[in-house]
Amino acid sequence: MSVAIETEGLTKRYGRKARGIEDVNLIVAPGEVFGFLGPNGAGKTTTIRTLLGFLRPTEGKARVFGLDIRRESVEIRARVGNLPGEFALEDRMTGEGLLKFFARLRGVKDLGYAHELSERLGAELHRPMRRLSRGNKQKIGLVQAMFHRPPLLILDEPTGGLDPLVQEEFLDIIEEVKAEGRTVFFSSHNLAEVERVCDRVGIIRGGKLAAVETTETLIDKSFRHVVLTFAEDIDPKPFGALSGVRDLRGDGKRISFTLYDDLDEMVKLAARHRLVNMEYERPSLEEVFLTYYERENGDER
Amino acid sequence: MSVVLDRGETGEHAARKALRGTLFALVSHTVRMQSRGVIIWGAALGLYSAAMVASFTAIEGSADQLNQLMQAYPKGMLEAFGVTDLGNPANYLHSQFFGLAPLALSFFSILALASVIAGAEERGTIDVLLGNPLPRWQLVAGNFIAVALSLLEICAIVGLLTWGTAVLVDVELSLRHIAEAVLNLLPLCIMFGAVALLCSALFHRRGLAIAIPAFLLFGMYLTDTIGRASEDLEDWRPASVFYYYGSAIENGIDWTHFGSITLIAIAVVFLSALAFRRRDIYT
Repeated sequence: MSVAIETEGLTKRYGRKARGIEDVNLIVAPGEVFGFLGPNGAGKTTTIRTLLGFLRPTEGKARVFGLDIRRESVEIRARVGNLPGEFALEDRMTGEGLLKFFARLRGVKDLGYAHELSERLGAELHRPMRRLSRGNKQKIGLVQAMFHRPPLLILDEPTGGLDPLVQEEFLDIIEEVKAEGRTVFFSSHNLAEVERVCDRVGIIRGGKLAAVETTETLIDKSFRHVVLTFAEDIDPKPFGALSGVRDLRGDGKRISFTLYDDLDEMVKLAARHRLVNMEYERPSLEEVFLTYYERENGDER
Repeated sequence: MSVVLDRGETGEHAARKALRGTLFALVSHTVRMQSRGVIIWGAALGLYSAAMVASFTAIEGSADQLNQLMQAYPKGMLEAFGVTDLGNPANYLHSQFFGLAPLALSFFSILALASVIAGAEERGTIDVLLGNPLPRWQLVAGNFIAVALSLLEICAIVGLLTWGTAVLVDVELSLRHIAEAVLNLLPLCIMFGAVALLCSALFHRRGLAIAIPAFLLFGMYLTDTIGRASEDLEDWRPASVFYYYGSAIENGIDWTHFGSITLIAIAVVFLSALAFRRRDIYT
């Protein structure tokens, strides 16, 4: 089977001033859950809308299941369930009416799975859209993206506006989709959910893909929170002199710091004293992401 | 999971069938969504037309005096409004209703078709719709067909209300002439709608997609109307689509003009599909 998504130098410019995306090279394997991270305006939505043929790329190429995004957009959309980031649904329609219409457009006869999803997410299918809250519209948006069991789900901020219980149910559904061997590509600001379900993450910044790693690698390659407790008071200064130590705090017998590298030197230095306890914590993806951005912004400055 | 991924699995025949299916689904959905508008427009115009038919009974007895009175009006003015014989119910209805009806009814198609692309972009509904395997040309063509069908429904309502009233109040208007009169509204209305569709495809603003065809509509109407009254402007009349509209309730449909205007509308729709094919969609 072809790779699910493949981009080569994908570039979209909106004009001289407005930034789009620049030279995005990305491969998403079939069956993978890929998280696409970045702050507002980084280029997540532009990438997604270019893949779906809503925006014409300025340069570069992209394929979805081997299909060219410029020439075979309809065939691509037949294989993709899409939840746009900013979307609206026709005010007068009900969720049921919308699903029936989309089922006819897709040649889907059975709405059983749509009703199952609606029930799990608590979507109200029989009220007109104009009477629904943002969260309820989002649920219908999710159902319309998933009800036809597409081989690829492209979801732009899928949990925006959902309450925590529904977010949890949505993540369960994503895990089921993954278990079925289908692919999910989603952008999110909620890094806890990305960490929970994504195999790999891509970080986009200023329209450029800054990193693509497995979630584990991204966290492993990052810093650790270290807390050392000694039997007697110690001078924290030698720890501060180690390369890769930041945010050092000393309080008599206890010192804490963030360690970016040189674990071996730190352990050897700690071993010179009588160590009572050592906490060595992995950061959350959110911390990695924030630090990544702070570092990048620092480099830029 | 049974998901078709290989291109080879869907043959050309299946692809064509799927395309027909999406077009049919879009057209039937759009017609259904427009049904409330159809009833409102049909009832409003139909009741106005019915009122004009009913009012004919009031002037029928004094038609000769009215015609004499009309002689006092400038000839050009009478021609401008298509008044030749107020004692003739067909001419009366043309001057009071069918001469002006395209001006009003064109707004149904202009408003509906301006919303298809630019309006859907402004509302933010277009991404969800085009997330489906719906080719862009079908969005253009499907909505045009749906609006043409809705216009036919409006015409049918107007025609039935007009004819029903004529039968009730015993005014001599044949069903055939009324049917031709309402059907003759169609080419003009779809043509201005097609212009709105083209503007909707070219620009990202619904306001522009309404204003440009509306300006064209009134411009052409005035060109033809003033051209009838003024010899100086008479040469400009052929540039107006109203010049080819005629009075179908009196003279029947001029099928050459009917076909020509319809073909122009279809050509504009084709241009709309071309314009929309390559452009970015903004929400």
